[in-house]
Amino acid sequence: MAEFPKARDFFESSRAAVGDHELRRKLESASARHLDHFAEVKAEFPSYDDEREAAHRIKTGAIAHLDELLIELTSKLEARGCKVFFAEDAADARDYIVELAKAKGAKKVVKGKSMTTEEIELNGALERAGIDAVETDLGEYIVQLRGERPSHIITPAIHLSKEDIGRLFADKFGIEYTAEPEKLTAEARSRLRAIFLNADFGVTGVNFAIAETGTLVIVENEGNGRLSSTMPETFVAVMGIEKVIARLEDLSHFLEILARTATGQKLTTYTSFITGPRREGDLDGPREMHVVILDNGRSSMIADPVLREALNCIRCGACLNVCPIYRRIGGHAYRSVYPGPIGSIISPNLFGSAARYLPFASTLCGACKDICPVKIDIPRILLHLRWKESAGEHPLKWPRAIERARRGARQFAKIARHPRTVRALGKFAAMVLKPFAHNGYIRRMPGPFGNWTKYRDFPRPRPHQRPAPGPERPPG
Amino acid sequence: MAEIHKIIASVKDALGVGARSNSRAAAASATVPVAQSAHRAALASTFARELEAVGGKFLGILTPDEVTNRIVTLAGEIGAKTVALGQGVMSDMDAIGEALERADFRIVRTIPVADTERAAMRERVASADLGIAEADFAIASTGTLAVVSNGDRPSSLTLLPPASLVIVQIDRVMANLAAVLAELGPDGVAANRLTLITGPSRTADIEKRIVLGVHGPKSIHAIVVWPRDD
Repeated sequence: MAEFPKARDFFESSRAAVGDHELRRKLESASARHLDHFAEVKAEFPSYDDEREAAHRIKTGAIAHLDELLIELTSKLEARGCKVFFAEDAADARDYIVELAKAKGAKKVVKGKSMTTEEIELNGALERAGIDAVETDLGEYIVQLRGERPSHIITPAIHLSKEDIGRLFADKFGIEYTAEPEKLTAEARSRLRAIFLNADFGVTGVNFAIAETGTLVIVENEGNGRLSSTMPETFVAVMGIEKVIARLEDLSHFLEILARTATGQKLTTYTSFITGPRREGDLDGPREMHVVILDNGRSSMIADPVLREALNCIRCGACLNVCPIYRRIGGHAYRSVYPGPIGSIISPNLFGSAARYLPFASTLCGACKDICPVKIDIPRILLHLRWKESAGEHPLKWPRAIERARRGARQFAKIARHPRTVRALGKFAAMVLKPFAHNGYIRRMPGPFGNWTKYRDFPRPRPHQRPAPGPERPPG
Repeated sequence: MAEIHKIIASVKDALGVGARSNSRAAAASATVPVAQSAHRAALASTFARELEAVGGKFLGILTPDEVTNRIVTLAGEIGAKTVALGQGVMSDMDAIGEALERADFRIVRTIPVADTERAAMRERVASADLGIAEADFAIASTGTLAVVSNGDRPSSLTLLPPASLVIVQIDRVMANLAAVLAELGPDGVAANRLTLITGPSRTADIEKRIVLGVHGPKSIHAIVVWPRDD
């Protein structure tokens, strides 16, 4: 596992990202377009909320029986001729795949889109072994050409404009500059098609694994998942332990809501049901199929009854699109392959203590919870993780600050019981703070209150004014 | 294999004793009501509308003879020279192939292949301008074609050529996804690779703008077959 960045890095990268107006413009336009699509499909899907409820119930049930389901899945996969490998951590999974690729004499590995292989940093490990890993999802292909990592779970190149991509292609391929998405896509298609037809080793992620049949379900729009899983002689599917569901009939609930929340489609273009390697006489499909089932901190999340719910996630990316933090800083600033609200609750468990600051990077506005297709109560989990950090097993290193805050709150509670005192203090504060205010907001508070305004603006107290009914515009 | 036991054990530990409040049966999904009485033609027209909504082209509800003629016309319309096709589910694909040959199209017929012939066969399918396949089912509510593949009718037919044509029998147009999965059942799904196809291959990876024809076909055409005696 690469060294996970420190909290200080996150503060720096997010501050830099907030100041990047071009990035903000791209994120805002992409998110807005996404939410428009979503609103359209949601409007004509009246049972949407019932489906979310059903999906939530099925996933929660599956996690509650995960040990049994994993045993059932493993035996069904093996009966279908798959080789199953359980990886305790990222290094286990990486080593298994790299050794397998070496044993097969693979020079090139074609990869379908997979966040789990990003999580285990497979590409780097393959490169170190002298094996070329080619990302084939268009967005992943683009970020790989730039030597970057994806900045969004569903739309990896969301931080780039078509002009950025046009310049990249002109640069890397020596072709004439164009910013037309159609031409850029056609260029990538022809380059990748040649690679696919000669590929001998393919790797993809998995969206759902059906225990009763030993079937892996892969959802995608481009066709690269189909190609990665049918062209090569050896095919490896990588999945987290939480991807398993009990029955085939559970699946329809997930497929329709996943497509709607992830991309605003009713169903994704391609849904592949893969049960074992190719049969005799088949033109398509691998001769050898391996399934790598990854724990990497997930079982420790099950042990925490609040955090367990985070394993319901089906990686649709919708919580990123609605998150006011994500929309201002983008995916890279989080320094985790899983950015946004869902990333903030799973990263600390997958990547260890260095990601402990992420649960604090949230306004707890609840937009993520409202859009989540499997109804994960993300704000509740964020608060739970914050609580664990400050009072739980591994408190942060500011116990005195917390004690001070508690004392302050007790003092405030005492004063707040006397309205006249509160009004007098308010008047006094308004008078004192007036010279600091600018356009109704105080950007920097004096003295010990300065910490508060380090990351936010304080509305100027206005004692003569009764509080207006209804919400006020928050500071920009 | 030590790892599996270790991970199952840690999952078990994490779940804890008594955490299992609801039985496996209780965790089962609620069933989605399936439209039982919906008229076939109504389902077919819903399918047509939804297919067009995702960028597919619906060529009509046709009799088997009309289907053959329409396919020959389509191959001409898109300027195809080579057409790849395999066996059908219910339809006589050989007759379609012969009609195309009579109209001077080159035909690639997919047949079960030995391991050594795979690469060559695939090159031939990839070089075709149009791939023809028959779907096992269609889903009206989403405009989806459900295609089971095997040696006679490989998945490549709907993936490698730049244009795709899929036919489906009218009594196999189902109301929704749940109905198709129920119709296939666990054994049907597990028997062979199954692919649900909803429109042409597409991406929105560049500024969330939709572009068709990334790795799969840029265009997909569908025909619903209505047998004469029905």
